[in-house]
Amino acid sequence: MTCDELKEMMELYCLGVLEGEEKDELDAHLARNCETCQRNLNGALAMNAAMLTLVPAAAPPRRLKRRILAGIGVERSRWGWAAALAAACMLAVAVWVSLEERRRTAELADARRAVIEVSAQRDRLQQALGFLDDPATLPVSFGKGQPAPPRGNVFVNARLGVLLIASNLPPAARGRIYQMWMIPKGGAPRPAGLFQSEAAGTALHILSGPVDAATLGAVAVTLEPEAGSPAPTTTPIIVAPVAGL
Amino acid sequence: MCRSSMVFFLLQVVLRFKDDSELARRLKAREPQAMSDLYDRYGRLAYSLIYRVVRDAATAEDLVQETFLRVWNRVASFDQQKGALGPWVLTVARNRAIDYVRSVDGRMRHARSVSAGSLELDRIENPARFSALDDSALSLDRARKLKHAFERLTPNQRMVIELAYFEGMSQTEMAARLKQPLGTVKTWVRSALKTLRDELTEVATA
Repeated sequence: MTCDELKEMMELYCLGVLEGEEKDELDAHLARNCETCQRNLNGALAMNAAMLTLVPAAAPPRRLKRRILAGIGVERSRWGWAAALAAACMLAVAVWVSLEERRRTAELADARRAVIEVSAQRDRLQQALGFLDDPATLPVSFGKGQPAPPRGNVFVNARLGVLLIASNLPPAARGRIYQMWMIPKGGAPRPAGLFQSEAAGTALHILSGPVDAATLGAVAVTLEPEAGSPAPTTTPIIVAPVAGL
Repeated sequence: MCRSSMVFFLLQVVLRFKDDSELARRLKAREPQAMSDLYDRYGRLAYSLIYRVVRDAATAEDLVQETFLRVWNRVASFDQQKGALGPWVLTVARNRAIDYVRSVDGRMRHARSVSAGSLELDRIENPARFSALDDSALSLDRARKLKHAFERLTPNQRMVIELAYFEGMSQTEMAARLKQPLGTVKTWVRSALKTLRDELTEVATA
């Protein structure tokens, strides 16, 4: 076959679909470095390439590029960096979640404490109202007519106990606390509970339980160490005489 | 054969990148970014071509990966001073797809035939073969001319061209598929290729 005849099948040859004698003959021409056939080969390769572009466009998935780059080890470092970034982000999120959880737990505990405190105050006020509503309660005032010392009332109820309401009683200094005493007629003072006054100088303290009003001589308050004392260690700042009620 | 506007969009994307020889040099130097650039330049075209042949997205994905891996591994033999990267990449992509359909469609039932076909495809996509092509091989003008020439072919001529390019069939296989005498098929093929070739020759001489 001549080079011109072989040219007619060069595209098929370049596509790998030429067979038999035609293919063998073309192989032989090219093996002899036939310049014409080599030129025709280049033309056929170029035409085939252009023909291969005449296909409907299709969109490859985005992951394909990553797959290819990862397949030759190119993308590894980028992914390593991305993985490190992702890990750092996850750690930051975990820390934030942990801190947020802690903050919320603390807030919840504060809220619980506030609720308990309010609830306790409400109970004490209801208890105090119980004293004031009971006709058997005997009131005794103290501090009247004195400008600076604390003033207020002591309410004695043989069944309910003793209620102390005071004002002008500044909060005890750090490490100190107010302590109420029941002083029997002709006897030694008996501890009747510890309390602290509010910032405004008011105080409400209750000794719950039956009391023998007949033998009670006075109710007093002293300033004591924080843990309280078995017997008064300072001069009383409140003395409410109840003898003779 | 194709939705022309989409085809030319693809080609325009490819042709925005003029300096294939510089890209080939970077690929040979094993620059990691070069592979990324190669994919940006030819990935979509290679995928479209392979999808046209295998008609399955997952398979096309695998074969595009195989194509680029093959290019990466064989680029050392590519002559970046004279060769055209695009035609080589497209040829590799087409051959991967043809090799795949040949292996699964039972057309080549004997292992020896499949193996021989694979070897032949391997031989024809040797990068050294593409060392004397210039960058104009994939020009938009050539593609447009070729498309118009293709549309002028008779239905039988178009059929045999598609079977050769996109199904990898020999003329004997076409004759069997189309139930036509081999001589008739050869006439259709020869006349179709001449029409296409002449159109490009006119482009070259214009």
